[in-house]
Amino acid sequence: MLARMEISVEMLKRTAALGGFDWSDAELEPIRPAVERLLEALERLEALPLGDVEPTTQYRVI
Amino acid sequence: MSELCWASMADLGRMIATKQVSPVEVVRAHLDRIAAHDGKLRAFITVCADAALESARAAEAELMAGRPVGPLHGVPWAPKDLYLTKGVRTSGGSKILADSVPTADATVVARLASAGAIMLGKLNMHEFAYGPEGINAHYGDARNPWSADAHRIAGGSSSGSGAAVAAGLAPGSLGSDTGGSIRIPASLCGITGLKPTYGRASRAGVLPLAWSMDHVGPMTRSARDCALMLGAIAGYDPADPTTSVLPVPDYGAALTGDLKGLRVGLLRAHFTDVAAPEVKTAVETAAKQLERAGAVVDEVNLTQVTHVATASAAIVASEALAYHAAWMRSRPQDYQPDVRERLRLGAFVNGAHYVRSQQVRALVAREVDEVLARRDVLLSPATPLAAPVLGERETTLGDGPADVRAALLRCTRPFNFSGHPACAAPCGFTTSGLPIGLQIVGRPFDEATVLRVVDAYQRMTDWHTRRPAAA
Repeated sequence: MLARMEISVEMLKRTAALGGFDWSDAELEPIRPAVERLLEALERLEALPLGDVEPTTQYRVI
Repeated sequence: MSELCWASMADLGRMIATKQVSPVEVVRAHLDRIAAHDGKLRAFITVCADAALESARAAEAELMAGRPVGPLHGVPWAPKDLYLTKGVRTSGGSKILADSVPTADATVVARLASAGAIMLGKLNMHEFAYGPEGINAHYGDARNPWSADAHRIAGGSSSGSGAAVAAGLAPGSLGSDTGGSIRIPASLCGITGLKPTYGRASRAGVLPLAWSMDHVGPMTRSARDCALMLGAIAGYDPADPTTSVLPVPDYGAALTGDLKGLRVGLLRAHFTDVAAPEVKTAVETAAKQLERAGAVVDEVNLTQVTHVATASAAIVASEALAYHAAWMRSRPQDYQPDVRERLRLGAFVNGAHYVRSQQVRALVAREVDEVLARRDVLLSPATPLAAPVLGERETTLGDGPADVRAALLRCTRPFNFSGHPACAAPCGFTTSGLPIGLQIVGRPFDEATVLRVVDAYQRMTDWHTRRPAAA
């Protein structure tokens, strides 16, 4: 479970690099706690019964 | 200072059409007021004094020539500075677009111009609309006119719109709302702000924050003026594929004042658990007033909204970074720090997170539809707190500490998520004199009922007519 992993700046740096973002340790360290919190919260969404729910992207266009 | 600056858009339009007042006089009164007060309020990023006066003279000439004019002819207004405006800088509140001058108007700006409305200038905002506080490191922070000396926030991201309309610098504005950015400043500044249904008004030519969550809508001092502006901007636009082909009703005609038999669901739990006691009391009092006017009020919970903050953060961060990716690679230093940090979060949300969040969205929308199947509107606080002090990051709500940013978004964001129309309007003041806002939520494309309820409430109360002493 990712949520229980400690996320290091190095992990963030590698992930950001995959997206083409060359961000330094000093730039990533301040957001590390927020990334951890967000990923933990996103993991909790996994527990919801969403199996057959169609994802909404655009809607109510009548 | 001229009383013209406190007249409604509807009254200004009527007075202009009947030649009781000249559009030049109206525009000049507003420009004078901007000159007198905006140094302190910082509501405007750009003031278009010469162009506005030129348009006013042209509007006057049309009247004198006897040409038929509509209800917004010669009436001044000002958009948030993320609406593209031909020949007028559109900064998005950023350094990055500080010199960006569009060659065409956003669809809704063009529609207001066709209706004869006169643009006074462009209004301050949270940089690129990414924040509910309304702060701006590049153009200064818009101040809440109810407490300008105490430096309270106007709320965001449409902070300049909230401050300008509340302080009489403009009778109406267009804001944008991705998590509450019309309704939060409306609540904190004591004005009326409507986020229409997703698809009701075109976003073409509006700088995006998150395409699937962005809504555009009016910010005015009354439901009647929101109806007037919405009527002018709403409707299908081939340039925005998400707009609906549903016909646009006569919103003004819907304002009957009649609430008999209207079914109102008073939202509890998530919407009131952490609300400040003064806010809770004001909203409950509003519910009782609606009841006395003939509405039937019951209490209702939305159980799925507890997931909205997470899923919404993932969607907005992903879509926002997609839009800003090139600049975040080449010019990250040009963003203000809080916006830069929020944009960076988007790099760590993966595709599965995004899709899962959109599934949650479907779940929430379904639940809101279900509770509205048995009710006409829902009622809640617009924000669980009044305007925080500038720079305040944590406050006390309910039983403990609360993050100010999360608190500001708490009641509004679920309806960006679900797409339902929602309007914020003043329903009281705190003991320290700050406005308290309620929120009315309606069925998809039923802005007419939402506005009818807010208008009826405003016929019974005078909160929306009060003027801030600081302005």
